Amino acid sequence: MERRDEFLSEEDLDLVNLSVEELDLYWRLWLTQAQITNDMDRAAYSHGVFDRDPAFSD
Amino acid sequence: MDNPYIRLTHEFNDGRLRAILASGQAVVLYRLAIMSKDGDWILREEAEALTHVIATLARHGARYRYGAPLDLRWLAHGWSAHLEFNEGGLRLRCDFVTRPPRVEPETLRALWAAPVQKEAPVVSLPVLAEIKKTNREKDYAVIGELARRMDDPRLELLYSRSARDLKRLAAEHPTVAQEAATERPLLARLREGREEIERLLDLERRALMRKNEDRLDRYLEAARPWGAEWPRLSKELAGQPLAEAHETMVVKAAELLPEKA
Repeated sequence: MERRDEFLSEEDLDLVNLSVEELDLYWRLWLTQAQITNDMDRAAYSHGVFDRDPAFSD
Repeated sequence: MDNPYIRLTHEFNDGRLRAILASGQAVVLYRLAIMSKDGDWILREEAEALTHVIATLARHGARYRYGAPLDLRWLAHGWSAHLEFNEGGLRLRCDFVTRPPRVEPETLRALWAAPVQKEAPVVSLPVLAEIKKTNREKDYAVIGELARRMDDPRLELLYSRSARDLKRLAAEHPTVAQEAATERPLLARLREGREEIERLLDLERRALMRKNEDRLDRYLEAARPWGAEWPRLSKELAGQPLAEAHETMVVKAAELLPEKA
């Protein structure tokens, strides 16, 4: 089999095989678990033109 | 789908199309990766659209984060607005622009005329790839996979991050590759070895990352007075309903945040 360059994980690439319900469930679970980092990223921005909330000193 | 960002998109678009999902949640809807806790949208650059979005967010008890007001005066110059609220144990962040970076006005008009319909309206694959040309390494992996989902060889040539894929595409579509090289110079070098193409891809990625950093630096510099006022202003806004907080934001931003960065 010809080798190809890989960009994403097998779990990510497997998302295409999930039904809408399975994708929904997986995404909800991921988002719920990700809430654990809310304190750590409370000042951070992942989109847009701002980088940190200056109201937080950490 | 029981995805709150999709539900929110439908609420934003109640009665007419005002908001198109972009970036992280678009990546989810394209089933590429789950990598963002936040929702971000491109909004129609019309006062009615912004008024509707603010009213929708007010019903959810949203508050402003540090950012520009959700107002055309700033958004039309590329600023972003940021709000958040908590619902069902989740912190939901909502980020908005009307002028996504690197997306040409003509492309944006075409997007509004015919957005891609997934579970909600989402940006097209090429627009998503442009938005992902950030200063974060991980976004280039997403672009690489996005390119493989494009069914037009010209687009695949313009966005691919794989030397192997590029060499194959150039062999299969030599004329298309030659023409596309006017937009992406490394395509003129695809006769060279894989290692050299990989080196050129790395150089291209670093140049794109620096370009985005330079763009962000202009906004960060222009926002300095606004940032200095924000710790005090955010406390004032905390006690206000969103509609009132929005008015306060606009008045204060008119003093401290230049419309053009």
